[in-house]
This record gives sequence, C-alpha cells and structure tokens, in this order.
Amino acid sequence: MKKFIKTGEPFIWLTGGAVAISIIMIVAILLLIMKNGLGFFWPSDIALLTLKNNEKLLGQIVNREAIPQPGAEQGTILKYRIQLKMGNRDIYGLDFKWIDVEDIKGIDYPENALCLERREWGNMYGFVKELKIDGAVVSVADGNIRSALSSSVEKYGELHKRIVFVAKKEIGQINYDMERLRLKIRKLELEYGKENPAIKERIENISKEIEREKGMYEKKSLELEELYKKSREAVILMSTADGKEKEIPVYNVVRSYMPNDMGYFKKTGIYLSRLWEFVSDDPREANTEGGIFPAIFGTVMMVIIMSIAVVPLGVLAAIYLNEYARQGTLVKTVRIAVNNLAGVPSIVFGVFGIGFFIYFIGGTIDKLFFPEMLPAPTYGTGGILWASMTLALLTVPVVIVATEEGLSAAPREWREGSFALGATKFETIWKVILPSAAPGIMTGLILAMARAAGEVAPLMITGVVKLAPSLPLDWNYPFLHLERKFMHLGFHIYDVGFQSPNVEAAKPMVYTTTLLLIGVVVLLNIFAILIRNRLRKKYVSSTF
Amino acid sequence: MSHKISNRRKRLIDKAARWVVTIGGAAIIAWLAAIFIFISIEVYPLFGKPKTGEVFSFKIDGDFRPAAIGMDGYHESSYIIGDDGRVFFFSPAGGQTILKGLNRLNNLKDSKITSVSRSGDNRELAFGTSDGGILSVKIKYKINYDSNNKRIIESEIEENDLIQIIPEKTPIKLAAFGKKESDIATAVYTEDRRFLLYGRKTTESLLDGVKTEDFHADLSSFINDKITSLAMDGFLENLYAGAESGNIYHFDIRERSSPKLINTVKASISPITALSFLLGDVSLVAGDGQGGINIWFRVRDETAETGWRLKKIHTFKSQNGAITSISPSIRGKGFLTASLDGTVYSHFATSEQTRFIIQHSSKPIYMVSYSPKNDGLLSIDTENILYYQTINDPHPEISLKSLFGRVWYEGYEKEEYVWQSTGGTDDFESKFSLLPLIYGTLKGTVYALLFAIPVAVLGAIYTSLFMKPWLKGIIKPVIETMAALPSVILGFLAGLWLAPLVEKRIPAIMLMLIVLPFLSILSSLLYRSLPPSLKNKFNSGNESLLLIPVFIFGMIICLWMNYYIENLLFAGDFRNWYYNTLGLRYDQRNALVVGFAMGFAVIPIIFTISEDALSNVPKHLISGSLALGATLWQTAVRVVLASASPGIFSAIMIGFGRAVGETMIVLMATGNTPIMEWNIFNGFRTLSANIAVEIPEAPAGGTLYRVLFLAALLLFIITFMVNTAAEVVRQRLKKRYAQM
Repeated sequence: MKKFIKTGEPFIWLTGGAVAISIIMIVAILLLIMKNGLGFFWPSDIALLTLKNNEKLLGQIVNREAIPQPGAEQGTILKYRIQLKMGNRDIYGLDFKWIDVEDIKGIDYPENALCLERREWGNMYGFVKELKIDGAVVSVADGNIRSALSSSVEKYGELHKRIVFVAKKEIGQINYDMERLRLKIRKLELEYGKENPAIKERIENISKEIEREKGMYEKKSLELEELYKKSREAVILMSTADGKEKEIPVYNVVRSYMPNDMGYFKKTGIYLSRLWEFVSDDPREANTEGGIFPAIFGTVMMVIIMSIAVVPLGVLAAIYLNEYARQGTLVKTVRIAVNNLAGVPSIVFGVFGIGFFIYFIGGTIDKLFFPEMLPAPTYGTGGILWASMTLALLTVPVVIVATEEGLSAAPREWREGSFALGATKFETIWKVILPSAAPGIMTGLILAMARAAGEVAPLMITGVVKLAPSLPLDWNYPFLHLERKFMHLGFHIYDVGFQSPNVEAAKPMVYTTTLLLIGVVVLLNIFAILIRNRLRKKYVSSTF
Repeated sequence: MSHKISNRRKRLIDKAARWVVTIGGAAIIAWLAAIFIFISIEVYPLFGKPKTGEVFSFKIDGDFRPAAIGMDGYHESSYIIGDDGRVFFFSPAGGQTILKGLNRLNNLKDSKITSVSRSGDNRELAFGTSDGGILSVKIKYKINYDSNNKRIIESEIEENDLIQIIPEKTPIKLAAFGKKESDIATAVYTEDRRFLLYGRKTTESLLDGVKTEDFHADLSSFINDKITSLAMDGFLENLYAGAESGNIYHFDIRERSSPKLINTVKASISPITALSFLLGDVSLVAGDGQGGINIWFRVRDETAETGWRLKKIHTFKSQNGAITSISPSIRGKGFLTASLDGTVYSHFATSEQTRFIIQHSSKPIYMVSYSPKNDGLLSIDTENILYYQTINDPHPEISLKSLFGRVWYEGYEKEEYVWQSTGGTDDFESKFSLLPLIYGTLKGTVYALLFAIPVAVLGAIYTSLFMKPWLKGIIKPVIETMAALPSVILGFLAGLWLAPLVEKRIPAIMLMLIVLPFLSILSSLLYRSLPPSLKNKFNSGNESLLLIPVFIFGMIICLWMNYYIENLLFAGDFRNWYYNTLGLRYDQRNALVVGFAMGFAVIPIIFTISEDALSNVPKHLISGSLALGATLWQTAVRVVLASASPGIFSAIMIGFGRAVGETMIVLMATGNTPIMEWNIFNGFRTLSANIAVEIPEAPAGGTLYRVLFLAALLLFIITFMVNTAAEVVRQRLKKRYAQM
C-alpha cells in the first residue's frame, strides 16, 4: 500500500479529478442553460388538476420537487409537490402555485384546453365559450370556433401591427420633427436674443411648419382612435377551470392554441413562431415576455461602433510598438503595461467612461453644440457612443497584443526580401507584413468583439437602459443617433433576472437570452481560436 | 525622370507614415496611461486643502452690540441685528457693503436684546430681552428674477409676538428656544440666576377651536452652579446647560412641567462658554473657556439609569481663547467656532478634522455665521467690525481616517467601519469607510481562489503531464473558451439557480468537497486491482474520463445523503441549526455561492497560464529525471512543478487580479450588504459592485462620486500591480527556460 502511494498513482488520479470536475461543471452549465432556454418555447400540455377538495386548477406543470420536512423521523416517505404555471394573472394575481402531490385527486389533459398568449397580463389558460365579433356570436356548439378563433387572432394581429405602425412610426416621426423644429427656434433665440427682429421671419416660418405638423398629428390621432375602436370589436369569452368567465379582446391575443390537441408537427410550428417572436419583437410586460430584438440590435450596434474605433487604434499602436519604436526597456515596459491593462477590472473603465467621456467630453459638446437642449443633456449623459468608446478602450489591449503577435510572426526573410527589392519601410509594412498579420488582427478583433458582447458592468453605467424607447438607428434624420441610450443582451439578463417584479415568470426568458449570448460569445471565441491555430501553424509560434 | 519622382514620393510617404504611426501609436499608449491620470485627477480634490478667499472687513457704525448675524445662500443679502433692535440688510459679496435696508424690531419696544438663541440655519432667531421677554423672529429671503433674468434677493424679517416669560421683568442672560410644529419650548437663565423652562402647546380641535396651554418649571434647584451656555434640541426633548464649573447638565424636558436632570458630566476644567447642536440635533458641540472644542452625544450604556450616557466623542484642535460662538453648517456635520483670540476655526465632526484656521481680528470675535451652502462665512468682533470671506471646502468629510479608520458615527455605540453613503434624511451622516468594501473584495476573492486554485492547478498539472495528447487537444480549448463566458451569465446562474439550490443542500455540497477527492484516490486503488486485461483497455492518460461517471455517481450519492445528514446532524434544517447553535445568519446569496461562481470564472485563467508554464518546462529535464529512475509523479512534483512554480504563482496572481475586479458575479450573487464578517454563509459588498450600484446616483463632482473614483483607483492600482508582478515573474521564468 505504502509503495503504491509512493508511486504517486493516487495523486495522478487526484489531478485527473480536477480536470473531470471542470468538464462536469462546463457540461452541466451548458446543459442547464440549453434545457431551460430551449424548452421555454415548447407549447407543453395544459393539465387540469382536480384536487381532493374538488378545486380545479388549469395550467402547465413546470417543476416537481421533494418537500423539505425538517425534523421528520428517519424513514419518512418523501413527499413531492409540483409547480403549476396557472397564468391568468389578472384573475389570480400570481402566475405560479405549488401544489402538494398528495392533495391531487387526478390530472387530466382536456383536448379543448386553450392557451391564449396575451399582450397584457401574460398567458391565459381556460376553455373558450364564445367568440363575439361585432355583435355576431360564434359559440362552442357551432363547431367551427377553432378556425374562427385562429382567423380572427390573425386578423387582429394585423390590426395590432397597423396600430403600432401608426402610433410609433408615423406619430413618432411627427413628434420627433416637431421637437426638432421647437429646438430650432430655441437655438435661434439663444443665438440672436429673444426679440431680435432679424430672426422674426425665420421663426415665423418654422412656426408655420410646426402648425402643419400639428395638423398632421391630429389627423393621425383620429386614425389611431378609429383603429383602437376597431380593436375593441371582437372579444373571446373564456371560462377558467373553476368556472369564472372572462372576456378577452381578440386584439389582446398574440397567439392561441390548444396544445393538448396538437401533434409534434404543429407544436414545432408554434415553437418556431415563438422563437421568431423572441428574436424579432419588442419586449412586453416589463421585459418578461415578448422578444428581445432591441437588445440584440443594441448589442450588435455597440459592438460595430466599438470595432470601428478599436481596429485602427489597436493596429496603429501595435505597428508602432513592433515596427517603429526603438526596442528597449521602455518599449518592453509599455508592452507589459498594455498587456496588464487587459487585466484591469472593466468597472474601472466604466468609471473612466462616466468621468471622461460623459461628463467631460459630453458635457463640453453639449455646451458648444446643443445649448438649446440644456439643461437636459444630449451627449452629457450615457449613450451608445460613450458605451462603445469605453469598451473600445477596454478591448484595445486585446487588439494590440494580437496584432503584435501577428506582426512578429512574419518571418524576417520577408522583410529583408522586401527591403532588398527596394521597398521602403512603409511599403514593406503595408504590402508584406500587414497582410500576413491580418489573421492576427482578425483574432484580436474577434476576441475584442466577444469580450464587448459579454461585458456588462461598464455598460450599465455608461448608457445601457432596461427599456429604450427607440433604437439608435431609425428613419428619423440624422438616422444614426449616437447619443441615444440602448438595450444590451447582458444587461437584459441582469435586469430581468434581478430587477424585474416577477422574477419567477421572467426566468425562462433570461435563460433563453443567456443561451443566445453564450452562443454569440462562444462562436466568436471558437472562430478566434481557429484563426489563431491556423496562424500558428503557418508561422513559427512565439507565444509565452 | 519619373523614376526619380516616384522615389522621392516614396520616401515622402515613408516619412509621413513613420510620423503618423509614431505619433498615433504613442498617443494611443499615452491615452491608456491617461486613464490612470484622469481617475487620479478626479480623486485629488478629496484630499485637497480647503481654499479661503480674501477677507473683507467693514466697520458697522452705531452704538450697539451685535445680537445676531447671518447670510443667504448667494451672499447677496446678509443681516446684522443690533441689541437695540436695529436690523441691517447688506450684500457682502465682492467686498462692498451695500446697505440694502434698515429695519427695526417693532415688538422689542424699548427693551434691549440681552441674549439670543439661533436655529441651525440662522434664519429663526429668538431673543431674550432686558425685560424678561422672548421675541422670536424669522428671516426670509425671497428670490425673484427681473426681466434680464437677473437674480434679485429680497429679505424680510417676520416678528412674532413677544412672550413675557419673567413677570418680574428681569433681563434674560441666556436663552434656548425651540419650535416644533405648534409646540414651543424655551429655557432661560436670568440675570438673578434663575433657570426657568417655559413651554406652550397649541392644539387645534373642531370642538374647542385653538387652545393654548402654558407650562412653567423652575430648574434652578437642580443646579448649584453658574450657567454659561444653553442648547436645546429640535425635538424639544433634551436641554443641555453648560456651567462655569465645566459641567454639562442634561435635562429631560419631555414633560414640560416636570423636567428631570438625568446626567451631569464634567466636560472641562474651565467654563463651558458655548454649546450648539450640529445638523440633526444629535451631536452637541461644547466650547470651553480655554478654547477647547469637543463633540458629545448620548450613547447606549446599560449601566446608566436611563440606558444612555453622554459621552465625549470627538476632540478638536483648541483655540487660544474662550470659545464665543459656534455656527453649525446646514449641510453636513461641519461647524465654525470663534474665539476671544480673534480666530475662526472650521471643523468637521465625522472626520474629526479642523479644516482651516483664520485669524480675522486681533480683537475677540464675538459671533460667527456659516453661509447656507458652506461657501462663505461672516464674523464680527467686539469693535463691531464685520469680516466676510468666501470658502471653498467641498469635501470636508474625507480624511484618511474617515476612509480607512474607525469612526464614531452618530447613533453608534462605538467606533466602527461603516459604508453607508446615503440616507433617507437631509441630516444623514454619510459614512464613507472603504474598509468594509475592501474586506468584502478580499472575502470574495479568497473564497473564489480557495475553490479555483486546487481545481485549476491540479487540472493544469494533469493536462500538461499525464493527459493523452488527443484529449488535451480538446480539453484545452474548451477550458480556454470557458474564460470568455460572460460574467453576467455566471452571476445570473449563481444568483438564481445555484443559490437556491445550495440553500437546500448545504450538507451535500460540503460532503462533495470531501467525497470527490476521496473518490479519485479510491478509484486509483480500484484501478490497480483491476485484472491486467481490463487495465490495458483503459491505459493511463484517461483517468479524468474514467472519473467523470464516478464523480457523477458520487454527487448523486451526496445529494441523496443530504436528507439523512441534515436530519442526523443538523436537526433537519441546516439553516436553523446554523443560526441556533452558532448564532450566525444564513443568507441565500452568500460567499460560498460567489466562491463557486467566481471560482468558475477564474479557473480557466489560472489553468491556461499554469498549463503553459508546465508545458514549457524543457523536455530534456523530464527525460533526464525519468531516465534516472524517478516515477512519473516524482518527476512531476520534483522537476516539473518545482521549475514551473513561478509560472503557477503568476497564474494565481492573474487569477487574483481578475477576481478582485469582478463585478457582475458579486453584484448578482451576493446581497451586497457592506458587512465585515468572514462567515461563509453571508454576503458582502465589493469595491467593484459598490461602484456599479452607486455611481449612477452620484452627482458629478460630489463627495460620493469622488470616493467611488477613489475605489476605482484602488482597484486599478491593485490589479495593475498584481498583474505586473505576475508578468515580471513570467518573463524571468521564460528567460530561465531558455537558458536550460
């Protein structure tokens, strides 16, 4: 035995255990996120629970666990309870309920149990009784209620799209223009003085324009009112499991289906449609439902702006360090410092961003160019530009290091060959070295993008918000609004998971968002690793 | 010809490129250095010396003694009230006394002002008169704007009816006046050494209409001492009298008709010449005849009869003459003191600092007054010369002691380290001790490293030395990718999935920490006793794969055992047991959870760098060792590990740096309570999470804002130094390997 221990075999197994536990943790985390994130869109069956006291509950079973029994005697039989997503928040007040298994008399899956996904108040589970459209009633007895239901939901979905278009796009545009004109007047007044006759005519012209916009606004409001009126025409009369009746406007329904009566094929259809809604739609109900399109858009846009800033900066600095600076202790020190900057906590960069970009630069820009907006800040508050700049600073060391690696990987013979052919240093760098360093630059950029996509701490203090009213890119002049606040996938996870009033209901959304974010970040990283490996194979490696 | 031109052009471009790259590259590197400099610049004002402006003095003509002075927030309308009832309004700003108005206190009649009681903001005054009456007045500033948007401040004085407190009309030598809603209380000390309390309660009811009730009490019998100063708190509950003997007497005046003397303390060997409350009416400033200044407040004390005892909390730099006047700030816990030696001192209670000293006059300063925004002061000497000065002291609450030392805050039983930057009320005392945050940062880091170091370093040893190359080709990139996992995801999982899970299964988790290593060793024994035919099937190098099912099995067993262990050892509920037997609280989001989550974030970093260091140990060393007959393990420990240990050290340092600055995980997986306990089952707040939580609410340029910048600076310095140390170690190691 002693001898065996002396061979060290057990210790080798112990070290092997460390690797095993790492693998288990990674796989467990990925499986956990995938299970919770992907399962969310699956329309699971609706269970009708009959309790022993004859109470009836309808909903989707989401969880099952043993009930903790403190102080119970040895050998007591474990008791279980299930968590039921009951929906109907407007009736019951809560979405979820724990029910002890031993209280349940029976569980049915009635074919006609209907799930309504609503724009307000979350899901509704129940049985449809009637469908009233403009006075005409289709009742269950008619038999064609299902097709009537699905066609009217579709029809009023179109109406919803129209309303959103009018309210947000058209009226939003008018409001935006009016605000712009108002600011124009204010700017003129600030420049020339309030009662200056020189600007009187111009102000009058602008006022006329404002009047015209007002007229358009009124026209559009009337149209909107008309549309809203139309939206109230159709209602569904639902009854809940315990017999309560409730009228739901069809307009309020996003999707309706009877999962218990659906095959895998149909369910997959619902699944895909919900998945599409998730990536393409705006959030609803305090971010706990609907989609995360603005967050995806904000993240992508921020990463793009950051990339535009970070590549030239990083490459320039790397070329300087590697090609032009005289190699010595100073450059060595600078290199170490740059490398270490990548290890400085991101929140420190956030603090710098707030102090320097927002209050110093932004504040100055506001004073110089947007005096008409003051005291409301334009650039003197968090926004996508400042967030991107902060992240550019945060990630520039990554690009510098990767680019330098690429530059120094180019064999010396190439340089010498180029010089021998009469090329200048610049030409050599531009035409020979830089192209060969391109994979290195790419690696750096991709790593920087991956880091930026997943970073949250510096963003939450430099311009990310839980709900941005408009995207930083739209059809209103000047189209790109760099001063606007934006939404971000990572912050969305933090916000919905920790600051939302209904965390339990929001959890699946957070998992799905997490899955999306992990997917993006891991893909980017794998891409970077592949490029780097190719680079290393191509040239002599010089790491560590 | 064209060849020549193109050559010249080429050279020109080359030169231009050299310039552009050099300037640009150097600028970017300088830019990165600017981060450090900029943050330092933002922090610097915290420790800056207060600036005082030029002293302007004006002689006030007239044969009177000043009874009260004060100023408005814009230094445009100051007042001085003479003891004959004359009121001057003037603007001291810019050094010119522009007299803006002259008034008289009408209700004073022919009597003179013999004493004064001031509210904290110097706007509500109560005068004791030579006729034994109390006249309370209110100074009002109205801000208007004229057609050019210029600010105009109009001042007014509003008089109340004179209350005749002493029917015999003896002059009132000292007065303390307080008003709370419709409740009035006044303590007076008369020329003939009577100490009286007067109260008036006004109640309004539907039945009786307005009803007033008067209370009188004589306190003279309590004290056989000459009273030299008085102070009453704004709650009208406590009355303090400073006496010639140096005693401070504390009266409970909640029952107006029967006040009680509840505490007497010897505060000085000389008379207590001035008493005043600071903002919030908790801290009592006492100035004595020798210029000593102390702050007192009541502290819980079980031995005292009332459960409270008046204690001396802060001591400030003494002035060289008796203290004549104290003016508290209405923004924070600062105050001014004036003395017979002609000086004015500015102090701050929380940081126990004397901020600045000014010599205004060679004559005694009779009275001093702070401006409402703490940006100016007025004082007047016995020759009726008024002194006006601007002050710029934006961060008086910050000193090294208040940031890093123990401070005795109002309402606390002893000196403590506390972080509590904002409170619900205006008179809140900000507590800016960074120590709980530094403590929290270290706590989180230590627990994370406790988990990460063994896993990462052992894993690196295995991966670099024992693992099959094909497996290594998969495992290494996978773990590297793990490093890129956004921390917000880990934080989310830790807070919403792991924390509730761990809460229910602590015994199982603890058990796993013991069982899993044990299982690996057990497996090695089992493996040895396998028949050779089977052994060959899984030749060595695949131990970690073999262990995965074993571990999963072990974990399931542990989880299954949880129920029985909890019943057997912890009376069925670990959290209750923990609280009942150890007296420690269990928080759902605690250091254990953070340890796992942040450890998970740090593992790949330590792993990758350690693995690199181990793999780069020159191969001939290993071959040599093996050739000499050492076993694989002996070679691993004595040769590879020994020579790569600096690399592993630097890996741990870099992991440390990452854990110190990690924000999202701790933000989401701890309760963010700034407490100082090593208890693994409760939360903490780190420097980084604190910045994230508080900076959005911190007004730019304010004290909190700058303190948060200081926290960022600390993080910057810590991580930068640790990373640099690690890098230097790595470079040296690299050199050493090259020489081998």
